Amino acid sequence: MIYADKSAGIIVTGATGRQGAFHIALMNEYARNIGGTGVVAGVTPGKGGQEICGVPVYNSIRDAIAECDAEVSVIFVPAGAAGDSVMESASAGLSLAVTITEHIPVHDTMKAIAYAKLHDCAVIGPNCPGLLSPGEIKLGIMPAHLFSRGNIGVISRSGTLTYEIVDELTKAGLGQSTVVGIGGDPVIGQTFSDVLRRFEEDDQTKAVILIGEVGGALEEEGARSTDLPIAAYIAGISAPPEKRMGHAGAIIEGGEGDARSKIERLRKMEVPVASRPSEIPGIIRKLL
Amino acid sequence: MKFLEHEAKLVFADNGIPVPHGVLIRSADELAGHLDTLPFEFVLKAQVDVGGRGKAGGILMADKKNGVATARDLFGTTIKGVPVREILAEERLEILHEYFASIAVDRSTKEALILFTEEGGVDIETLARERPSAIRRASVSLLMTEIPPFMLRDLIGKAPKEAGKILQSLYTVFRRKDAVLAEINPLVTTPSGIFAADAKLIVDDNALKRQGISQNRDLTEREREAEKHGFSYVELIGNIGVIGNGAGLTMATLDLIDFFDGKAANFLDVGGGADQERVKHAVQLVAGVPSVRVIIVNLLGGITRCDEVARGIIDAGISQEVIVRLAGTNEEEGKCLLMEKGYRMLDSMEQAVRAAVEAVR
Repeated sequence: MIYADKSAGIIVTGATGRQGAFHIALMNEYARNIGGTGVVAGVTPGKGGQEICGVPVYNSIRDAIAECDAEVSVIFVPAGAAGDSVMESASAGLSLAVTITEHIPVHDTMKAIAYAKLHDCAVIGPNCPGLLSPGEIKLGIMPAHLFSRGNIGVISRSGTLTYEIVDELTKAGLGQSTVVGIGGDPVIGQTFSDVLRRFEEDDQTKAVILIGEVGGALEEEGARSTDLPIAAYIAGISAPPEKRMGHAGAIIEGGEGDARSKIERLRKMEVPVASRPSEIPGIIRKLL
Repeated sequence: MKFLEHEAKLVFADNGIPVPHGVLIRSADELAGHLDTLPFEFVLKAQVDVGGRGKAGGILMADKKNGVATARDLFGTTIKGVPVREILAEERLEILHEYFASIAVDRSTKEALILFTEEGGVDIETLARERPSAIRRASVSLLMTEIPPFMLRDLIGKAPKEAGKILQSLYTVFRRKDAVLAEINPLVTTPSGIFAADAKLIVDDNALKRQGISQNRDLTEREREAEKHGFSYVELIGNIGVIGNGAGLTMATLDLIDFFDGKAANFLDVGGGADQERVKHAVQLVAGVPSVRVIIVNLLGGITRCDEVARGIIDAGISQEVIVRLAGTNEEEGKCLLMEKGYRMLDSMEQAVRAAVEAVR
C-alpha cells in the first residue's frame, strides 16, 4: 500500500455532479466491504448542507475538514475549475489530490501542480482513473471487481488498458499491491519515478509493471530511477507520427517518444517489454 | 490548434513584439490594391500549415513590377499537398543576424521551457544534435508572471538587449494564449531594428473555448463530426474498423491488429460512460468509412454499461460484421442481447483481434 491506507478519510470535490455522486457510492461500497473509512465529505461550492449517498456536502474543503477527518481528495470538478480544486486541496493541508477530470487546460495543470508542490501535496493525474490498493483503499473510478491483493505494483498512463492488464494479472493469480493510474495528459503530477520511489519503501511490493504510451520520456526516466524489478508494456507501436491518439498524452512530438524507440531504450536498460498485454503475467513471473 | 503565421504575428504584435510590415491577401488582384503600402521589394509567403514551407516553394521573392504575377503563380500551387488560399505579402528584411527564441510546455519539469540561441538561421534540430551547448535553456514555473531578469541575461548572452524584451513578451503571449508552443524562428536584427521574421503559435486544444476559438481547424471533417459526439477519432489506412473505450486500450487494440498483420482503418475512442446512443453513432461513423470490412468493438467497462453498449451496436444496424469484446458492468445482460442477434462475442481482446484479422483475409 502506498499514498494512503484504509484509515484515510476521503473528500470528493465536484460531489454533486453525476460522476461525483456515482463514484462516492462506489468508493464507499468498497470501503464498507474492507472496513475502511471511505468518503467522509463532499464539496461543491454553493451546495453546502446537502447530502449525497449519505455523505454531507460542504461549500469548501476548509469547511469540510473543520468537521471531518480527511487526508486526501478525489477531484471530479469540471475541467475549467479542476486546477482550482487541486490548489484548494493543497492549501487546506491534504496530502494527496487525485484528479480524475479530463480536458483540463495544460497551463492550469502546470500552475496547480507547482502550487501543490509548495504545500507538500502530491497530485495524481489529471485525466486518470485514480488508484486502488486492493484490501486497503480505492481512490477514483477503477472497477474493483477486477483487482486482487498481492505484491505486484502497477503504474499506468491509461485507464481501461490498466483494467485489461489488471484483469490478466488477477486471472493469472498475480495479485496487486497498488495500482496507480498517473494520467494520460502531457503534464501530470506524480510520474513513473515518483510512484516507483513510493513502491521502493513499500514492503508489500515485489515487482512493478509500467504501462506506458507514445509521447514523452517519463517511462525511461522512471526505469532509470529505480532498483526494483520492473517490466513494461508500451501502447502505440502502430501509431502514426504527429497523430493524436485519443488524448493529449498519446502524441509523438517530432520523432521523440515514439513507441519503438521508447521500447528500444527500455530494453537497453534491461527492462523486459511485453509486445502484447497477454505476455505480461509470464514476464512478471520471471521477475519474482 | 496551430495558428497560421499571419495570425500568430498579429498576436505577437499586440503584445509588443515587432513584426515586419505586411498585408494578407486572398487573391492576386487584391495585392494590386496594396502595392502602395509595400516597399519596392517584398516577400510573398503562403499561409499554409506545413513544415519546410520555404524549401517546398511556399516563399517567393517579389517586387512591385512582378508581384501580382508571382502571387498569381503562388495561388495556383499546393505546398506539400495543401492548396494556397492566403498569402502574406511582407516587406523584405535586410538581415544582419538571425536568432532563435522558443517557449514550450515541458513534460518533464512541468514548467515553461525557454530556448534561445545566437546561432539562428540553421536547422534548429540539427544544431540541437550537433552542438547542444549553443542552445541556452531556462525553465520557468507558470506561477511566475515574468521571466526573472537574471534568466533573461543568461539566455540572450551577447544578443542585443531588445532580444530580452522580446523573450519577455513571448512569455506573456505564451501565458495569455494558453500556448503549448510560442516560437520565433528566426528573430532577426536589421539596420532598422529587431523583428520576428516568422511566428509560430500553438494553442492548447483544451483551452480553445476560453480563448474564444469555436472550431479546431486542425481536424478533418470526420474527426470534427466525431468530436461533436465526444469521440477521439483518427483516420488510418486499413480495413478493420476499431472502436474502444479509453485511448490506451484502443491503441493497444490497434497494436494487436498490427501484431497479427492486420491493418486498422481508424482509431475511435468512445470515452468513458459510453451510452447506447453514443455507441450507435460510433458504430455508424466507422461503418461509413468505405474501406471498412469488419468492425471490432473492444470495450472494458469501468463505468461503461455493457447492456447499453450491446443495444447501441444492435441499433446501429450496419451491413459489416461486428466482432465484440465486452467486459464490465452488466456484462451478462450485454452478452445475451448480442448472442440473440447472432453477433460474435469473444472473451479476450486477443481473440477478438485474431477473429477480425481472419475475417478480412
